[in-house]
Amino acid sequence: MTGVRGAALTGHRRPAVGLAAGDRRRTWPWRRAALAMTVVAAAGLPFVLPPYRLFQVTLVLVYAVALLGLDLVVGHSGQISLGHGAFFGVGAYVAAVMIGRLGLPYPVTLPAAALVTYGLGWAAGLPALRLRGLYLAVVTFSVAVVLPPLLKRFPEVTGGAMGMPVATPRGAGLDDDQWIYFLVLATAAVAVAGIRNLTRSRGGRALTAIRQHPAAAEVLGMQAASHLTRAFAWSAMYAGVAGALHTWTTGFVAPDTFTLSLSITLLAGAVIGGLATPAGPLLGALVVTAVPAAARELNPAAPGLVSGLLIVAVVYAAPTGLAGLLRRAAAAVAARLPAGRRA
Amino acid sequence: MAALLEVSGLTMRFGGVTALSGVDLAVGEGELVGLIGPNGAGKSTLFDCLTRRCAPQEGRVLLAGEDLARLPAHRVAGRGVARTFQNTALFPGLSVRENVMAGAHRHGRAGFWGAALGLAAGEERRLRETADALLARFGLGEYADHPPEALPYGTTKLVEIARALAAGPRLLLLDEPAGGLAPAEVPAFAGLIRRLHAELRLTIVVVEHHLDFVLSLCRRIVCLERGHKIADGPADAVRRDPAVVAACLGVTR
Ligand SMILES: Nc1ncnc2c1ncn2[C@@H]1O[C@H](COP(=O)(O)OP(=O)(O)O)[C@@H](O)[C@H]1O
Ligand SMILES: [Mg+2]
Repeated sequence: MTGVRGAALTGHRRPAVGLAAGDRRRTWPWRRAALAMTVVAAAGLPFVLPPYRLFQVTLVLVYAVALLGLDLVVGHSGQISLGHGAFFGVGAYVAAVMIGRLGLPYPVTLPAAALVTYGLGWAAGLPALRLRGLYLAVVTFSVAVVLPPLLKRFPEVTGGAMGMPVATPRGAGLDDDQWIYFLVLATAAVAVAGIRNLTRSRGGRALTAIRQHPAAAEVLGMQAASHLTRAFAWSAMYAGVAGALHTWTTGFVAPDTFTLSLSITLLAGAVIGGLATPAGPLLGALVVTAVPAAARELNPAAPGLVSGLLIVAVVYAAPTGLAGLLRRAAAAVAARLPAGRRA
Repeated sequence: MAALLEVSGLTMRFGGVTALSGVDLAVGEGELVGLIGPNGAGKSTLFDCLTRRCAPQEGRVLLAGEDLARLPAHRVAGRGVARTFQNTALFPGLSVRENVMAGAHRHGRAGFWGAALGLAAGEERRLRETADALLARFGLGEYADHPPEALPYGTTKLVEIARALAAGPRLLLLDEPAGGLAPAEVPAFAGLIRRLHAELRLTIVVVEHHLDFVLSLCRRIVCLERGHKIADGPADAVRRDPAVVAACLGVTR
C-alpha cells in the first residue's frame, strides 16, 4: 500500500486559492483577532454613525440575510431563482399586515414570515425541481411577475398601489434606528450560524455533490429532487425573513419595491459577491445596496443595466466573485507571513 | 455459491447503438470477477445498468433476488451497491475527507433543520471518524483536508474507492481503477484490492484494460465484445480463448 501511495505522490499540485467555488482552505491570518474586531465594530457602529448611515448599514445586513438564502440555491445547489425578490416581498407584507392591520406585536412577524415563505418555497420548488434548471427559472420568474399586481388587487389588506406605512419596532433606552440595527444584526448572526451549520453537514455536502456530479451523488444514495427542494424552501424562508426585517427597518411597504428588478438585483448580488463562500452574501449585499443608488444618479433606468453589466464583467473576470478576489489577496498576504503568525 | 448478482438477457440500446445485447452474468457472494473487453464493448454501460443509471430495454438485474428495475436510482446504494467511475467522479468542491463522508451519506440521518440548529454534531463526528479510518487504511490520511484537484490522477482513484467503501457496500463495481497508475504501482494496487476483498468480505467486479492486473487479481474473467459476452470462466482458460485473444489481447498488450 505504501508503494502505491509513495509513487502516487509524484505530480502533487495545488490550485491557487480563490479560483474554485466552495474551496474551504483557510487563508485569512489572525482569524480570532479579526473576528473579535468585527464583533466590537458591529456593536459600536450605532453609537458612532449618523442615523442615515446606520440605516444604510442595517439595509446591507437585511440584504445579506436574503443573499445567504439565495446562495443556498444559486451557489450551493447550482440552480437559478428569479423569484427571491417576491419571497422577500411576501415576508415584508406578512410583517406589514400583521403589524399594521392586525395590530400584532412585531416579534411574532418574523417566525410568521419565515413559515409562510418556507411553505411557498416548497410549493414553488417541488414541481420545478423534479425537472430542474430552466423550469425552476421559469416558475420563479412567474412568481416574481405575479406578486406586485396581486398585491395591488387587495388594497383593503395591502394598501394597494400606494403601499402602506407600518409602525417600526421600538426598544427602551436606545434610539429607534439603533434598536432596529441590533435586531437585524442579531437575526443576521443567527442566519449565518444556521447556514454555516447546514452547509457543513450531510445536507450541505449532498447539495455540493448533486451540483458537481449528479450521477456520482445518486449512486451514493442522494436524492437530488428532495435535497434541492429543501434547499429551495430554506432559501425562500431566508428571503422572507429578510423581507420582514426590511419592513421593520423602513416602516413602509409598497408593491413596486418587490418587482422582478429586485429579484435580478439580488441574483446579481449573489453572483458578484461570490457563490458558495462565506463572505459572498455580505459583499453581495454591499453591491445590492450601493449599485442601484449610484446608478440612479446617472439615470433612473440605469440600475438594471448596471447590475446586468456587472454580472457579465464578474463572470468573465472573476468567476468566484469579490469573495474570491479577497481570498486570493488574503492568501498572497498570508504567504508572506512567518508561519507561526497564522493564528 | 448463492448468486448475489444475477443478470439475464440484458440489452441496452442508445439510439442505433447496441451497447449490450442479451448479456447473462451471475456473480456469487464473495467473488472477485474481472471484466475485460476492448473500448466500447459495453463494460461501463453494464455498470450503469447495475446502478440504475441506465434503464435497459430488455433483461433483468436481480440483486439478492430483488429486481433492481423496481428501485429508484438513489435507492440502489441502500441495497449495498457501490461503484467508481471510469473518469474520476470526485466532488471538487469538497475536501478529500468530505468526499469520503459524502460516501457515507446513507448512514446519516440529519436533515436540514437538525443540522442548521446544530443537532447533528454527534452524527457528523461519527461520519468523520468513518472517513478518517478509511483514508488511513489507504494511506491517504495526510490529504484529508486537501481539495481533490491537488492530487495526482492515480490518487484520486484511490479516494474514489475509499468513498465507495464508505457507503458500506456488499457489491463493489470498479471501473478501470488502475488507470492513471504508473506500471510500477500496479502490483501494489492489486494487493490492496485483494486485501479489501478478503478483509471486508466484498463481492467485486473490476473492469480493467491493464490485462496483467486483471490476470493477477481475478480467478474468474468475463470478456465483452461489442455488447456480447464472448467468454466467462477461469482466468487461464479465458486468456487462451482465441476469441478473447482476437478481441482484446492483440490491442491492449
Ligand atoms: N450515454 C450514452 N449515450 C449514447 N451512447 C452511449 C452512452 N453510453 C455508452 N454509449 C455507447 O455504448 C457503447 C459501449 O460503451 P461503454 O459501455 O462506455 O464501453 P466500455 O466501457 O466497454 O469502453 C459505446 O459504443 C458507446 O459509445
Ligand atoms: Mg468504460
